[in-house]
Amino acid sequence: MVNTLGKSNNGSAFGRSIPRVEARAKVTGKAEYVHNLRLPGMLYGKVFRSTVAHARIRGVDVSAARELPGVHAVYTAADIMKLVPDPHYGPAFHDQPVLAIDKVRHVGEPVALVLAADPHVAEAAAQMISADYEELPAVFDEVEAMTSKAVVHEVLKPAGTFPDLKHLKGKRDTNIALDFHLRRGDAQKAFAEADHVFEHSFRTQQVLHVPLEPFVTVADPTPNQLVIHTASQSPSFVRIEIARLLGWPESRVRVKVPYLGGGFGAKLYIKLEALVAIAALLAGRPVKISLTMEEQFYQITKHAATLRIKSGVSKDGKILARECEVWWNGGAYADIGPRVTQKSGFTAPGPYDIEHVAIDSYALYTNLPAAGALRGFGIPQLVWAYESHTDMIAKALNIDPLAIRRKNILREGRPQATGTLMRDAGIEQVLERLAQRMQWEKTFDRGSGSVRRGRGIAIGFKASISPTTSVAIVNVSADGSVMVNCSTVDMGQGSDTAMAQIVAEALGIPVGSVTLVHPDTDVTPYDMATLGSRSTYHMGHAVKLAAEDARDKLVALAREVGLSAETVPIPDIFRRKYGMQAGNIVGVGSFIPAYAPPDAQGQTDNATPFWMIGATGAEVEVDTETGEFKVTRLVNLVDVGRPVNPAIVETQISGATMMQLGFTLTERMDFDAGQVTNASLADYRIPGIRDVPAVMENEAVDMVQKSGPFGAKGVGESGTFGVSPAIASAIDDAVGVRLTSLPLTAEAVYRGVRANAGRPLED
Amino acid sequence: MTTHRTIAFTLNGRPVTAHAGNHQNLVELLQGQGLFGARESCAQGLCGCCTVIVDGQAVSGCLTMATLADGADVRTIEEPQAGEGGLDAVQQAFIETGAFQCGFCTPGFILMSRQLLDAHPDPTDDEIRHYLAGNLCRCAAYPEIIKAVRLAAKKRRG
Amino acid sequence: MSPFELAEPRTLKSAVKLLDAGDESVRVFGGCTALMLMMKTGVFQPKRLISLRGIEARYSKVTSAGDGSLRIGALTTLAALGRAAAVKKRAPVIVDTLRTLSNVRVRNVATLGGHLAHGDPHMDLPPVLMALDAQVVTAATAGSRTLAVADLYTGYYETALARNELISEVLVPARAGRRAAYVKLTTRGADDWPTLGIAVSFVTDGKVLSDARFVVSAATEKPLRLVSVEAVLNGATVDDALLARAGEAAAAEAELVGDARGSAAYKTELLRVHAGRAVRKALAA
Repeated sequence: MVNTLGKSNNGSAFGRSIPRVEARAKVTGKAEYVHNLRLPGMLYGKVFRSTVAHARIRGVDVSAARELPGVHAVYTAADIMKLVPDPHYGPAFHDQPVLAIDKVRHVGEPVALVLAADPHVAEAAAQMISADYEELPAVFDEVEAMTSKAVVHEVLKPAGTFPDLKHLKGKRDTNIALDFHLRRGDAQKAFAEADHVFEHSFRTQQVLHVPLEPFVTVADPTPNQLVIHTASQSPSFVRIEIARLLGWPESRVRVKVPYLGGGFGAKLYIKLEALVAIAALLAGRPVKISLTMEEQFYQITKHAATLRIKSGVSKDGKILARECEVWWNGGAYADIGPRVTQKSGFTAPGPYDIEHVAIDSYALYTNLPAAGALRGFGIPQLVWAYESHTDMIAKALNIDPLAIRRKNILREGRPQATGTLMRDAGIEQVLERLAQRMQWEKTFDRGSGSVRRGRGIAIGFKASISPTTSVAIVNVSADGSVMVNCSTVDMGQGSDTAMAQIVAEALGIPVGSVTLVHPDTDVTPYDMATLGSRSTYHMGHAVKLAAEDARDKLVALAREVGLSAETVPIPDIFRRKYGMQAGNIVGVGSFIPAYAPPDAQGQTDNATPFWMIGATGAEVEVDTETGEFKVTRLVNLVDVGRPVNPAIVETQISGATMMQLGFTLTERMDFDAGQVTNASLADYRIPGIRDVPAVMENEAVDMVQKSGPFGAKGVGESGTFGVSPAIASAIDDAVGVRLTSLPLTAEAVYRGVRANAGRPLED
Repeated sequence: MTTHRTIAFTLNGRPVTAHAGNHQNLVELLQGQGLFGARESCAQGLCGCCTVIVDGQAVSGCLTMATLADGADVRTIEEPQAGEGGLDAVQQAFIETGAFQCGFCTPGFILMSRQLLDAHPDPTDDEIRHYLAGNLCRCAAYPEIIKAVRLAAKKRRG
Repeated sequence: MSPFELAEPRTLKSAVKLLDAGDESVRVFGGCTALMLMMKTGVFQPKRLISLRGIEARYSKVTSAGDGSLRIGALTTLAALGRAAAVKKRAPVIVDTLRTLSNVRVRNVATLGGHLAHGDPHMDLPPVLMALDAQVVTAATAGSRTLAVADLYTGYYETALARNELISEVLVPARAGRRAAYVKLTTRGADDWPTLGIAVSFVTDGKVLSDARFVVSAATEKPLRLVSVEAVLNGATVDDALLARAGEAAAAEAELVGDARGSAAYKTELLRVHAGRAVRKALAA
């Protein structure tokens, strides 16, 4: 096949449901994951972890472990500090030690590391290590953490990356890692004047990502560079942070990322990389650490949250004022929690047109495993609260759930709570299409006897993380085939395929001619990270710009040698120039969207480059005798702009929905004094194939993101937004039980039924 | 009685020998042979990422002692298939329906789907859901997997 | 996991001998699924294990006698048990129970003997076999004995088996006109360990019930027969009022244990409602 610019022989590449570019590798078990990697002389690391939630370390006894035959080395913080005197890392705060120094702050915190050539020996040696702790009072609840005498970090150490954290530097005796405030209008005055004031509190539980490929990193100390092979969503950040820790130039650290066996926000920033990198340098040999499923429960989680919402409403259902307070349980290390607090915090009032808004959002340290980003970045917690609250208001005022939303939703061109005007945000389109697919106006079979049916709808929105940068290179070879160097990580979302489609579209060549170079910081340029549904938009722009740059250079080259790039096949242009099949055309693209930081009142005229919209309609069947219920139908609507690949977009919507279904119904980390008591898939139940609702419908509404590459924007998270509140509302609709705490269990429904009947279930 | 021994078995149709410890599992044994398609994930036989076919039956590699493979016929996802491009009907159907995202659980689902179709050539949705209930996909490509199994059944019938 | 020795005897007799000669940490296994889980988490660190996979083939077989009773070798895998024509015909409740018991891969290797000997109250077949009046035949150097499955369990993960004794066979008696059902209730998703298990069986002419067995599991330390429920069912004709009385009796007699899957109070309510539904399921079987 010979390519000519703009002459793709099989039509437009963009908007087509082609199979994933890596499909064959994945169905033959040959796709490359870090999991597969073994290097000559490699040692396996096994971590010895804290068994207490908060304590001073009196001593760590590693003598027996060191003596076990086959053990290469055992390291504690003292060894780490020989190489890196201040071994604290983190994206928002430099608060996380590579191995615990003086103190442990949560159960499962790494205290020591064993290295051995045989992983079974490393494991046996780790079991021989013991630590002596002086236990300290611990705090687990996020609201208590606001005023608790137990303080997780003596002093706050913001990383300096984010300007809005600077005022926290050196602050002592507080667990508040960030407080974000937004004021618009005068909520207090509006409450006083409103016909009705409603106030409700909600809670979400701590859950986790559970990628089926647990965290895994290999570090290889070569003579000139430290090479890190890691299952990471943010290779560029890993390079920068490891270089900072070691005091090296970025160029001496090389980070390579093949495919990921799932990410969902878990594998962001630094996780195992610092420990593995330093261990490899100390040992002078390649080191691999693969976490077990159980260890994943102590690595990174999703914020539990307590949310309080108060609304002033007119008697006909117009929301006049809203006040939101959110307390995010960040666990022992900030990770990216402060960003969740702010970036999600500002959408806490929901996709509604409200004149008077007050938001206070707090990131709290507690003695639980750290919380970070998980598919939705705090948004599902907020939607859970504001959509439940909306339906509770509707019920109290006897207004239909659809009608109250129609009355209040944020329409195109109206200002959101930050003051930013809504642009290309299909809130109305998503809501109306959902109503249509749910046949909301038709009578609904409400069941009979002990089986009652109900339905609910919910809609949420999210801003993109901003401002962030993506850089890409498009490299055209002399035969007309194309390589795309970009650091976007394909963790299953299909970014390799999407980028190939965008580049093919921009050059007008077949997708099959485009190959993605996987993230390798030696050859793929900077990208902020693969997170927050930002890649299609940001990296999409960067690869498109790079492709256009390459195209322009090709056109110029053709002109230089007296040919027309529009009509002459690409190889002919190169051959005319170089006399043989030789040379390259390299196009570069760099993208950072416009952004205006919020002022002291949280106001800005440009909070985000685009908005993500997601809504869900749910139908449930409840057994009134036991509270057992089934979600019989889920309808999921999103605005993704123009879908790059409709089939992959659909799997992203349904996958996100199913994940949130787990967070809604079955998943909950259970704790006893900070220890996870269900740290296995036997007791922490993620959805299986029999948990898929009998009917599930997914649709991207017909929208165009005018500022997006070919009209596209992100999709990975939008399917999560409406699931939890839609199901809770459907249960309320069926049996009159309103649950305000996740997960929604049959027992909670049953207790509600009993309470309504005036016979509460006694324990 | 020893803790380690040399075992001989058939791997994807070829005879091989390996030195293994009783404390090692089948996934480790396969890794020693350069095969990484069977992956230990949950470590409890619940997720199916480590599925291997031993003497014609699906087992969880993470719960199978390596030395018990002695004399067995062991088949993995890497085994070339007779269909177009070395793929069988199930693999082709998984590609055509987009029945995976990250791909980590995919080998297990494909091997189990083959077994399912051997037992139930024309399975109902209920049979598909029950048979695959022991495999987990965190990306939740379940609706597409059900479609893929139905399509593969059709392809196998010709 | 740390290295350990593996013995692979060819006869039941030599397996029993090896077991008898070993120390506390020596165990026998059939499918090795439960033991592997314990070893992987470090709960169990053996020096030596005995594989029963090589012993006489008759311990992996299901045979039915002319009277309709079943003799099931303890090494019969759960998958083979579910496929056996005799089981399908004589005790379809076992086949039905197996459908949601663990998963295909585990059923392919896990054996009936191991399933029963493990002593985990969340296992599905012990209550079912109790409701069918099944017995286990055990082997030890001292000799063989036969005891009711109902007498096998003495407490939480505790059985009446001596350290050097193993289950060799399971006997399911013939009962003409007996119907049975098992209800597995899960509260954390469709596939999970049971929050509550209910097994019921009775003889019926289509109207009146007699010789009822009613067993609860999972929310109890060990599978437990509820004789008060059996008393309500025996001699009675099924109607809503009877089933409500059976539920009340079950809720009154059972002392259920609460855990992360449900409080004791809630599990008792599940039992109250599902007791009658289990009887209906058996009637329809």
